[in-house]
Amino acid sequence: MMEDQEEKGNAENGIGRQKQVKDEYLLQFLDSLDGYLTLLDSLSSTLSQGWLELASARHAMGASRINGALLDLKVHAAATSLKVSEQDVDSMESQPCFTLCKWASSDNGERSSGEEKSLSPQLRHRNNSQLSGIISSPVSFSHFFNFFLSCEEEKVSTRTGTPLILVDQQRQKSLSVFGVLVSPKLRSAQLSFERALETLVEIANLHTTMLSMFEQVHKELENTNG
Amino acid sequence: MAGRAQIPTKSSALIAMIADEFGVVLLCWDTVTGFLLAGVGNVDLRRKTNYLIVDSKTTVKAIEDAFKEFTTKEDIAIVLISQYVANMIRFLVDSYNKPIPAILEIPSKDHPYDPAHDSVLSRVKNLFSAESVASGRR
Repeated sequence: MMEDQEEKGNAENGIGRQKQVKDEYLLQFLDSLDGYLTLLDSLSSTLSQGWLELASARHAMGASRINGALLDLKVHAAATSLKVSEQDVDSMESQPCFTLCKWASSDNGERSSGEEKSLSPQLRHRNNSQLSGIISSPVSFSHFFNFFLSCEEEKVSTRTGTPLILVDQQRQKSLSVFGVLVSPKLRSAQLSFERALETLVEIANLHTTMLSMFEQVHKELENTNG
Repeated sequence: MAGRAQIPTKSSALIAMIADEFGVVLLCWDTVTGFLLAGVGNVDLRRKTNYLIVDSKTTVKAIEDAFKEFTTKEDIAIVLISQYVANMIRFLVDSYNKPIPAILEIPSKDHPYDPAHDSVLSRVKNLFSAESVASGRR
């Protein structure tokens, strides 16, 4: 009798734990989905701003100075690239984690110190400031680390000794495709699209988390139905 | 560890772009131009770029070929594709299931983002609507 009760208790605990795990997966999935949609909305705003600034620059400089014919088709490496590393989700699964390396490459193939941002999504903390809670502590994969474009540039510069001038040179090189003297609106457009890139890397990380959680939830649902 | 999918780690990967630009010539190239200003443009030794600008003359086959090329190249980690362009090759985009490169559908100037057409979100929607039908039957 006692043994039966004990077995029944163990079974109930097991079911309770399973339910807890399922709820956790579902919560993580819904969190990442919400974050994904919010970031996409933010991306749309940033891109709209960039397009408007580009149009203003075209208006100021003239259509002949900003058009596709000027795109640089000489052999060159991307100045902004990505670092992909593996992030452990659990003992059976890992997912990629993207880190943006802005203005970190030069044409001669040498990698100079640039700005690096790794924004790994975690479970959101549900509070009043929801937007600020979406991206919690990022994971650092190297000694370069950056959160926000404008306010963190100086901190990166002083912390690592990376001259901002190198980053500025890369930016100027990118702008030089459209001439030496460019409209301030073109510079603003450049910054807007840089912000859009940062948002996109956050979206990519959330995207992989969402897919991973989706697979887990799908598996759990199949086990429940099966 | 048994059963773990291997994620290829890369120290320097590219972002590829397939973006649409429709309309008058003055309004073309904006999305790709913007990201090129941000420094993601890459031209290799064979003069091949990591972006494709889709205009009215671009065929669906060309878009499919570019998509297949970008998703099989080892040095590309993220592929940005305008959702409008993704809709032209929807079958190909929906059947893609590798973790890298990640396929991100982005809005374009003339076509705002529509969550209903997003590849991942429509998969999620199908799962939950199938599940609610199944639980209704039970």
